[in-house]
Amino acid sequence: MLETRNLDKRFGAVHVTRNVSLKLERGERRVILGPNGAGKTTLFNLLVGELTPSSGSVLLAGEDVTALPVAKRARRGLSRSYQKNTLFDGLTVEENLGLAAAIHTGAGTRLWGDSLASPEVREIVAEVAEQVRLMPYLHAKVSEVSYGVRRQLEVGVALATRPLVLLMDEPTSGVGPEMAKGFHELLNDLPRDLTLLIIEHDMDLAFDVADTITVLNYGEVVFDGLPEEARGSKLLKEIYLGSWEDA
Amino acid sequence: MFQHSALRYTALILLAVGAFAQAVTAGYFGLEVLTEILLLAMLVLALDMVAGFGGMVSLCHGALMGVGAYAYAILTTKAGLAPPVALGGSIAVTGAAAWVIGAIGARAHGIYFIMATLAFGQMAYSYVFEAPFFGGDDGMGGIPRIDLSLIGLDLNDSRSFALFCLALLGAAYGAAVLILRSGLGRSLTGVMHNEQRMRALGLTVWRVKADVFGLSGMIAGLAGALAAQHVMYISPGLLAWTVSGEALVVVILGGLGTLVGPMIGAAAFVILKHEVSNVTSHWHLVVGVLLIAVVMSRANGLFGWIEARWGARLERRLSDMTRKSDAEEITTDA
Repeated sequence: MLETRNLDKRFGAVHVTRNVSLKLERGERRVILGPNGAGKTTLFNLLVGELTPSSGSVLLAGEDVTALPVAKRARRGLSRSYQKNTLFDGLTVEENLGLAAAIHTGAGTRLWGDSLASPEVREIVAEVAEQVRLMPYLHAKVSEVSYGVRRQLEVGVALATRPLVLLMDEPTSGVGPEMAKGFHELLNDLPRDLTLLIIEHDMDLAFDVADTITVLNYGEVVFDGLPEEARGSKLLKEIYLGSWEDA
Repeated sequence: MFQHSALRYTALILLAVGAFAQAVTAGYFGLEVLTEILLLAMLVLALDMVAGFGGMVSLCHGALMGVGAYAYAILTTKAGLAPPVALGGSIAVTGAAAWVIGAIGARAHGIYFIMATLAFGQMAYSYVFEAPFFGGDDGMGGIPRIDLSLIGLDLNDSRSFALFCLALLGAAYGAAVLILRSGLGRSLTGVMHNEQRMRALGLTVWRVKADVFGLSGMIAGLAGALAAQHVMYISPGLLAWTVSGEALVVVILGGLGTLVGPMIGAAAFVILKHEVSNVTSHWHLVVGVLLIAVVMSRANGLFGWIEARWGARLERRLSDMTRKSDAEEITTDA
């Protein structure tokens, strides 16, 4: 469903992404691990088109999308949530979801008719609000809801475009253990045919949700395999998991 | 997101009734002032659409109004088209020009967008000022008004013309509301709140900005074509950046992003200008002080101040009245 071939990115002398080749099957849930500065978010930015690779290519559903801009990739089914909430703060939760759903249905560029009142958009909004447990907050303004609810909305907005592949950049970033537990359930309840690629620091969530794990270090893939293999990997213990095992 | 509140409906009704009463009862001077208000209101309505709901603060809307005026003048006096056709043509020409400006400027933000629109406006002004085809700095005269004698209206009469402008301002307001409530308008508001996210969700941002800027330009073009008919003479001064600057002042004075507010601002601005200039020629100073007071008060213009003071109270009173009437209905049914 999503593939990278020898993806490489340099910022001047700094080599941030080194020859990364990944292949995600339809419905696969992959977690990307790595220490700070490993190039995880840069990889996401390359995948969605916010950054142009120095070399290499990105394929979505078998088609090369490397030259496509962000919006076109999104319309082909590549959606992302951000590590730092990137929402429409002055609007309600419902309007946030509605704007995303309207872009997906095409109602967002129509001159006639209120996109947010369109039955198709309302249906998606209701379904996504249910999926990300936002039903009680639909009419609240984003600025009025808690941080945890905003994290749920961050994922909800990305989901409302009905993506084929959803990239999530640290969905549980900054939330407490209880809320993080809720996120595990939320992610596990997402449709099985949705391909997920998640950057995550929460090891419990990573091993709970992931079908496969990729570990990046200095922009390079140093591990690619099953969660149980990751647990036993000596290399991972050295570069990343040591602190987790000790804890 | 654009929405009407009880206070906004009330303000709209008061504005419409006040303008209609003035159009019916005023003498020649009063009608001229009213028409001036209506035309400025149309221009600031167009500007508020893009500045208040899209974050595109334009300093070329005066020039767009000028494009509409010149297009109407040329289509009637040089191309010999019937005024109603020329009116449609001038709206289309201005819309197309605005779309191009919107498309080019869409990638710029904040001060850079303002400067880009200023540059477009000044280019248009300089060209018209120097081109003999447009009459140069002498301008163009002999511009006819639309003939509505078929329906018994003589637009050469100031009262009829003011009523005609009022009707078209109502139509322009209706169009602006429809646009802002459409998918395109909603997406534009999304872009103003978070352009990066809208793009990441799959929206072609520049296209949405250009489309709404073009539609806003059509309303500015209509205002220009009416301004040309009003005075029956146009000069390059209509395209000068000061007209755009004045429109922006009026939008801020009235209440950015409210649609009703800028129209109130237009009325306040024109009345203030005429009243103060009776006393002193330095009326700009008074407007300047008022603008500073409005900005420093942190209210969103005159209408923002009114909304903050009475909006919630009016909504509460209306909801109390609804509850009371529901309770009475239940009692009657019982």
